[in-house]
Amino acid sequence: MARFKNNKKKGRVIVKPIAKKNQANVDHVTGDKIPKSFVFSRMKLPGSVKQLQMDLRKLMLPYTALNLKEKKRNTLRDFLNVSGPMGVTHFLMLSKTASSLSLRVARTPQGPTLTFKIHQYSLASDIAQSQLRPRCPQDLFQSPPLIVLSGFGSQELHLKLATIMFQNIFPAIDINTVKLSTCQRLVLLNYNKDTKLIDFRHYSIRLQPVGVSRRIRKFVQNHKVPDLRNLQDVSDFVTKAGYGSESEGDEEAATVTLSSDLGRANRGSTKSAVKLQEIGPRMTMQLVKVEEGLCSGGIIFSEYENVDGKKEKEKKKQNEDGEAEEEEDSEDEGEEGSAEEDGEDMDEDFED
Amino acid sequence: MSTGENSHHMATAERGTRKRRVGKASKNKKSKTLPPSSARFKVTMKNQKLFQKRARDYNSDEDEEEDEEKKQPEVTIREKIFSDANMGPNYDEIEEDEDEDDEEEGSDNEEEIQSGITKFASDGGCNAFKIAFKAIMKKTKEDDTLDPILSGRKPLIAKQLAEEEAEFKAKSQARKAKHLVAEKGHVKPGSYLDSREKILIGVATKGVVKLFNAVNKAQHAQKGLNPSRSKDAKVLKKRRKEAFFTELGKTSKTDTKVQKSSTSNEDDAPAWAPLRDNYMLANPKLKDWDKKQDTSEGDNFAAMSGDESYED
Repeated sequence: MARFKNNKKKGRVIVKPIAKKNQANVDHVTGDKIPKSFVFSRMKLPGSVKQLQMDLRKLMLPYTALNLKEKKRNTLRDFLNVSGPMGVTHFLMLSKTASSLSLRVARTPQGPTLTFKIHQYSLASDIAQSQLRPRCPQDLFQSPPLIVLSGFGSQELHLKLATIMFQNIFPAIDINTVKLSTCQRLVLLNYNKDTKLIDFRHYSIRLQPVGVSRRIRKFVQNHKVPDLRNLQDVSDFVTKAGYGSESEGDEEAATVTLSSDLGRANRGSTKSAVKLQEIGPRMTMQLVKVEEGLCSGGIIFSEYENVDGKKEKEKKKQNEDGEAEEEEDSEDEGEEGSAEEDGEDMDEDFED
Repeated sequence: MSTGENSHHMATAERGTRKRRVGKASKNKKSKTLPPSSARFKVTMKNQKLFQKRARDYNSDEDEEEDEEKKQPEVTIREKIFSDANMGPNYDEIEEDEDEDDEEEGSDNEEEIQSGITKFASDGGCNAFKIAFKAIMKKTKEDDTLDPILSGRKPLIAKQLAEEEAEFKAKSQARKAKHLVAEKGHVKPGSYLDSREKILIGVATKGVVKLFNAVNKAQHAQKGLNPSRSKDAKVLKKRRKEAFFTELGKTSKTDTKVQKSSTSNEDDAPAWAPLRDNYMLANPKLKDWDKKQDTSEGDNFAAMSGDESYED
């Protein structure tokens, strides 16, 4: 009876249905399973971090719960229970301690879990503020972003794992059937070997026809009557170059030839320049830990390892019959002795 | 102590009785003369005016003070203090105004007032009040924002204020520290694009261009073919496979990776188990998982490197 009561008391995660009801778990063209995600935190976050969480949710659109409401008493199990029927495959969890801010990316229901320490971050609003003309077309968040992973191609297994994790966090693209008009956004993860930091950027993609003067382009795009007061002849409008000369010299590499029309300005079989504009959030993070299970289980990889830590881990290993890669231990051994505490903190966080 | 002063005090103290007196005066007049109805009406009007004026005066002290100062340039220091305290002179003035009004009405009223004052002053019953009032008046008012009446409690209040301030300071400091912790790592970007961001954009652009070109190539090839027809579908399948493999070969030279079609999931899947998409999903029994790992680790790495070149 007591157990029954407890179960009844336990708060359930309040989830609004993910986007639309007709959204299937499976892509109707390719038949692949669509990955879905929850972005949440199990603690009270300060305002800016809360905003970062919201930005991440927007980034994960459309296959995420934008209005996910979490309560303090919601345990990870609650989210897990909801995730099954909802077809949620990935969890993104933000956590904030006094010393550090971390993001955990986990595959449900059984892991693995990657823990990133966020060294720096900027919100989408900060980035919009820094720009002269922030861009946000209406259909920007209606299709999932592309993901570009750069610099991960090393032999280290934890990086490999991170690569696969991030590749699978967004729906796969079938190049035979994909429409370029749905490719509106791009998530870039750039790994820096020297600093071991991952740059996380979020861009919007815009295609512009090449070899067309700015005036004509604006005319075609905006579909407004142009101002011809200062011109002698209509032909001047076409022939006279606009004031803003385009720096096309360095953009040779950034042009694509479209097979079909895209929007009003970009015609098929003409060259178009790819322009990226950042929309945020922006994060600089470091992969600090990889766990076998969902926020639990044996530690496959840990960035903060010194001799003592290793001993502890070995004890753990003996207890749990878990196993970790020996090579990686030796690789990252004795690197950051002082940062040990951070790692310990996070350990505590994970237990629930 | 001069009598003038005294009468001043008395007049000020007489606040309560004055009203009654005026009313009485009108009553007296009524009872004495019994004027015609129009006259009575006039009197009541006058009274009304008087009341109104008194109310006005009472409400707007400061204006009147100024008026009064203009009227009476010679005032004693005491009277100045009075005017500061917003007490005496106002009533004094009202009294005077009243007197004037009364004089207009008739002379008998004036007499009555004076007799009233004298009676009050000569009574001697108000001696205690006099002493108290004087004691108050002897106190010098200090120029301070603190309440002059509660000047006895001034140090206490000052102490309280200082305490409050200190508390506020400490609180604000704590808040600041908390905010600092909360905002740790939060960086607001500058309005310019630094070289690092430019490099990142370049990398991203490269990736997008690669993907778009691949997409165009693939979709250009299948133009004119209808995937719903089985014959065309077969051709499409073959072409797609070929195109995909050639594309893979090309991309291996650079370090940029673009997520591509999952048509060849089996080929792409890495040999190391945790890296696979369906890790721990396919076989829930993981009893001898580590054993397997131990035995085939070397092989896995060999396979990995092969895969690597393939995928990148």
